[in-house]
Amino acid sequence: MDEAPIVQVYDVHKTFGGHVKALQGVTFSVRKQEVVVIIGPSGSGKSTLLRCINGLEPVDRGRIIVDNMEVTKPGTNLFKIRQEVGMVFQQFNLFPHLTALQNITLAPIVVKKMPREEAEALALSLLERVGLKEKAHSYPNQLSGGQQQRVAIARALAMNPKVMMFDEPTSALDPEMIKEVLDVMEQLAREGMTMLVVTHEMGFAREAGDRVIFMDEGRIIEEGTPEEIFSNPKEERTKLFLSKIL
Amino acid sequence: MVEAERETLTKGAIRLERPRGRVVPLPLERVPWWALILLMAGLVVTYTIATSAVYQETLRFLARGVVRTLQLSVSAYAIALVLGLIAGLARVSKRPVFYTLGTLYVEVIRGIPLLVQLIYIAFVVAPALGIRNDMARATLGLGIGYGAYLAEIYRAGIESIPRGQMEAALSLGMTYGQAMRYVILPQAIRVILPPLGNDFIAMLKDSSLASAIAVSELTHSGRLLTARTFRAFETYNMVALLYLMMTLLGSLGVRILERYTSGGKQ
Repeated sequence: MDEAPIVQVYDVHKTFGGHVKALQGVTFSVRKQEVVVIIGPSGSGKSTLLRCINGLEPVDRGRIIVDNMEVTKPGTNLFKIRQEVGMVFQQFNLFPHLTALQNITLAPIVVKKMPREEAEALALSLLERVGLKEKAHSYPNQLSGGQQQRVAIARALAMNPKVMMFDEPTSALDPEMIKEVLDVMEQLAREGMTMLVVTHEMGFAREAGDRVIFMDEGRIIEEGTPEEIFSNPKEERTKLFLSKIL
Repeated sequence: MVEAERETLTKGAIRLERPRGRVVPLPLERVPWWALILLMAGLVVTYTIATSAVYQETLRFLARGVVRTLQLSVSAYAIALVLGLIAGLARVSKRPVFYTLGTLYVEVIRGIPLLVQLIYIAFVVAPALGIRNDMARATLGLGIGYGAYLAEIYRAGIESIPRGQMEAALSLGMTYGQAMRYVILPQAIRVILPPLGNDFIAMLKDSSLASAIAVSELTHSGRLLTARTFRAFETYNMVALLYLMMTLLGSLGVRILERYTSGGKQ
């Protein structure tokens, strides 16, 4: 197995509007097939970090390297990098004017120039994988939140990414729909997908996470195995945060 | 006191119940009076035209003007749709050059009366481009003028689409242009169809300004006819009526569009 980290983040700083410090020197890396869970209070910079990694948000300072391509270098082909990094959003962000199937086939057809038949076959197999094959021709507003998020996961997987990033994928869901999404994510983790997950689902972090990173105020406060972080946190702020949510 | 109150309440409730199977009289204020008046006027006009040789002659003469007005409106609107899309995209662009050019176009055009623009384009811009044809000059003038208004409609439509849509498209590896074409614009079009239709009606009316640069559209035809026959009353009755018919048909079209865009599923 290739031991070079697939995502490398060095000393990344990011400020919004000149004064809101979202990231203040974040350094970490993700190895292939690793599942890294990022936890922390809201406003701690977790989402911003994900958005910087696929170049949706430019950094002020520092370097981010994904699959040997430097995201933060001016003139980098961000479109190439984003094809390697799938992203799942809190609000799903499915395209409402397209069916579930079309949501999945759009990027392979437009970006990868995949023939339509091939893209549709791929989309159907992905929908089957997330348990929604019978919803292929439904529009997003005909699907429940959990179903929409599973379609969104399938949409990201259709580009055959090397890393999947999840930005609070279950936070906008009704409680009874959270499990169906987490099940899909755990299955992905078992299949060896490299994953970077921002979540408040501690059960998922314990079950599927190889490593947990605790962030607060734009910094990484502590990182370790789920066991270390949840059962034996070293930092006061980690203890305080965990005492509030567990 | 309490008894009396209950009494009136019950009475009220009884009065509110509608007897089944009987025709409920429509309250006077909810009768579409304007439609009835129009209908009556239409009948009177139809009768007058059918029985009057003068009106029939006027109508025959103005028919070519109507065709010209429609040709001018449709072709100028086509230009405006394209110019508006380009300028609208420039207005939402993050690139300073595009944004500045788009904004400049919109602000300059919207700040000058359409009649002045038409004259300016017909006698300054068009000759410089080697365009001599009256119709072509008017089409260009109206198209450029309305392009600025449509640009703002496109911009509002694009901005009404949640930011997450663009982010989702980009995160899948699409370029900005691909995201616009396949994700943002198809959604924005639904939102802006009714206002686009309204602006077509407005342009149809404003096409009468082209009479000032000697295009033989409806208004100009009316002026020609009065100059020849001195029948201003019959002629302008007919001119106004023909515009009204076109715009009413247009409004009907916009209403159907509105129902299609708001009632249909995503």
